[in-house]
Amino acid sequence: MADKMSCYVLADPNKCTGCKACELACFAEHNKKTNDVGYTVGTVTVQVTPKLYLTRTETYCMPIQCKHCEDAPCLNACKKHAIYRDENGQVIVDEEKCIGCKDCVMACPFGAISILPLSRKGAPLLQKDREVVKAASKCDLCKGIEGGPTCVRVCPNEALRLVDMNEEQLNKSIKTAQSLYDSRLS
Amino acid sequence: MRQFVKGNPDLCIGCRTCMIGCVVEHEGRRIFEIDPDGYDFNPKLHMVKTAKISVPVQCKHCENPACLAACPVKCIKVINDAVVIDQKTCIGCKSCMQACPFGVIDMISQVGTSQADGSRRVVANKCDLCVGTGNGPACVRVCPTEALTLVSEDVMKESIQRRRTETAKAAKDIADALAAEV
Repeated sequence: MADKMSCYVLADPNKCTGCKACELACFAEHNKKTNDVGYTVGTVTVQVTPKLYLTRTETYCMPIQCKHCEDAPCLNACKKHAIYRDENGQVIVDEEKCIGCKDCVMACPFGAISILPLSRKGAPLLQKDREVVKAASKCDLCKGIEGGPTCVRVCPNEALRLVDMNEEQLNKSIKTAQSLYDSRLS
Repeated sequence: MRQFVKGNPDLCIGCRTCMIGCVVEHEGRRIFEIDPDGYDFNPKLHMVKTAKISVPVQCKHCENPACLAACPVKCIKVINDAVVIDQKTCIGCKSCMQACPFGVIDMISQVGTSQADGSRRVVANKCDLCVGTGNGPACVRVCPTEALTLVSEDVMKESIQRRRTETAKAAKDIADALAAEV
């Protein structure tokens, strides 16, 4: 077993109403410093680029986001080493290094990565040839942002939660042990 | 997202028809009429064969091309959403080759050109998605085993959406199963 597994955010399709508050809050939180995005619509001057993606089927909906895999296909696919594992085990895209080759997008079995344009100081970031810089966009668990994942905090239906599998597994296994103990004489 | 051609190593038999198709598309049928030894064969994709794999590799047409950023003479441009090298202005500095993480740029000596010392010009060469021919990538068309596909933006988006829906379905099944237990 791994020393410590990485955490991830998981949505409950039975609670999600598809309001996209998570997508918007994710975008706003990640663009506060770089693009002066505040809490009102008037402060948004750039394309809304979330790091989780609301997905609808005919009968239910939920946002899809990165699972921060332990043997991450995206990380393994990136030839530019632009996807790395940080000190907490989270899988992070280095937007500066990303060249937009789309290999990670093709590698992710969950569809958790999109290639989206980057903006700085309220305007699209441009390359040498004036084309817009694009980078792989996926959940970074709000790395460096106080209070943890924004999507979890803003969901009005509490449909999102931060999963710490280390803890969950421990609790489950203790319950299993407890039930073995409880049933040993019956 | 820019489209690109993707090879399938499970289908590729390493016949190199894609390389010939590429050269014919870019240089015409000349290749069939002249002495093979006196001809420079410069396809824009190349076959990689290892002990276990055979598959052609070609440019990914990155969104922020490292080659384009590295080019000191700005001869790499985006034309019709394809990353294209202008071989007329390329100086053969190899910066793009160094920058590309996929090894899909070659240096080729150009037929019928000469530098100040009389030697042939050597310039960068890579897949241009057959831009401007109106026929789409030749390699995809000629492959006898259909090992090459043009991955368009629509195909990519559809594939991502399918994966998202499958992920949502799996999450729904687990959530329902857990709810039933309680």
